Amino acid sequence: MSSSSPFIPSLEHLTRQRGVLGSLVVSETDGIVIDAVVQPSVKAPVVAALAASLYRRARQSAHAAGLGGVKYLELVADGGRLCMAGRDDLVVVLVTDTRVGVGLLRVELLRTAAELPE
Amino acid sequence: MSVSDDIRRWSDELARSPASMVFLPLGEALRTRGQIDVALRVALRGLERHPYDADAHDLLARIYVDRGETERALDEWDAAIRCTPGHAGALKGMGFVCFNQGRIVDAERYLAEAAAASPEDDGLGMALLRVREQIANANTTSAPEPEPESEPEPAPAANGNGHGSTNGNGATTNDVRAESTFAERDAHFGDPRLLFADLIGVADQAALLLDEDGLVMAGQYVVSDGMDVGAEVGAALSGISDEARRAMRHLPLGDWRTIIFETAAATVVMTPAPQDGLVLVAAAPEVPSGLVRRALESVSQRAKRWMEQLS
Repeated sequence: MSSSSPFIPSLEHLTRQRGVLGSLVVSETDGIVIDAVVQPSVKAPVVAALAASLYRRARQSAHAAGLGGVKYLELVADGGRLCMAGRDDLVVVLVTDTRVGVGLLRVELLRTAAELPE
Repeated sequence: MSVSDDIRRWSDELARSPASMVFLPLGEALRTRGQIDVALRVALRGLERHPYDADAHDLLARIYVDRGETERALDEWDAAIRCTPGHAGALKGMGFVCFNQGRIVDAERYLAEAAAASPEDDGLGMALLRVREQIANANTTSAPEPEPESEPEPAPAANGNGHGSTNGNGATTNDVRAESTFAERDAHFGDPRLLFADLIGVADQAALLLDEDGLVMAGQYVVSDGMDVGAEVGAALSGISDEARRAMRHLPLGDWRTIIFETAAATVVMTPAPQDGLVLVAAAPEVPSGLVRRALESVSQRAKRWMEQLS
């Protein structure tokens, strides 16, 4: 990943939060990693592809249901969470363990997504 | 024998004998499974052959309610009562609709007649009792204040269920508050659309139980114009769980338990239900998300119990 990326400071900030295993900026359309700061245990390309697919599906489904665009998505699993917030084609994704304080993280994530370039 | 087997058997029987009355249980089973359009066709065809059958009109009325076509439903129930005066199903349905419209006095009248026609229906008796309690409460709170010149309280704002806030019967906030417990009462009617109503009593919330195909099994999603869009929302959102399941196969996070997403119009939380189903709670964005998540837990537990009773 390029260290000069404008996303890196935000991603580093997110990844420093308690329970966060990694943060990524991914393209919703392609499911590819734009930038990522992740622990070695996190396979960024796999997470990016799956998270983008899930976010895209949620966006399409919410639109079909007449609920408007998705601004925040959280998938809670037995072993952790995927939290996402998007803007245009970019989605900020967090991979967390179960210890995460989701309230604060949600706020940080939405703030980061709002700062993404249009 | 499963419901699917019953539907197949009744369909075969109806194909063999188009004049058979089996269209009644068939239409009801299809309606309960959320196959509303098919149920409508079955009911209409049945009515063509049995235009004076009150149960057929009653079936069609309930299908119209599912489609959000309340006026048509009332017409059909009216026809049912003309065919069979004192038809309990029709009276109960009209009571249901009147209560939903805030016409609590009319609701009481219909429910009282239904209870008289069907005294063995304990649930109906209990519903009637509680409607009467609501009327008594409304009368108590709307009693004149000591100040003789005081103006009546302004009508409360319409709630998220799209029901009007006031009516021609002098209804007060109690009537609106009553709507949050209406479902609990109507659960005694055996109406699965109201299975969760007492759990999500806060206005602007909705709850649905979907089967593995995204069809509504219980609950409703009523929008501001009074339409139940549960079928559309359920069908559209159920695909998200498939995507989540697929993602979880490749991520070391275990099985998914909850999905939460926020849009401009709603906060939606969903969790798996038995038999590959899905439970979903939606709320207006201003409802605190923690409250929505908590509602999901109780809705999910009730859905599970209800499905156990079904099977």
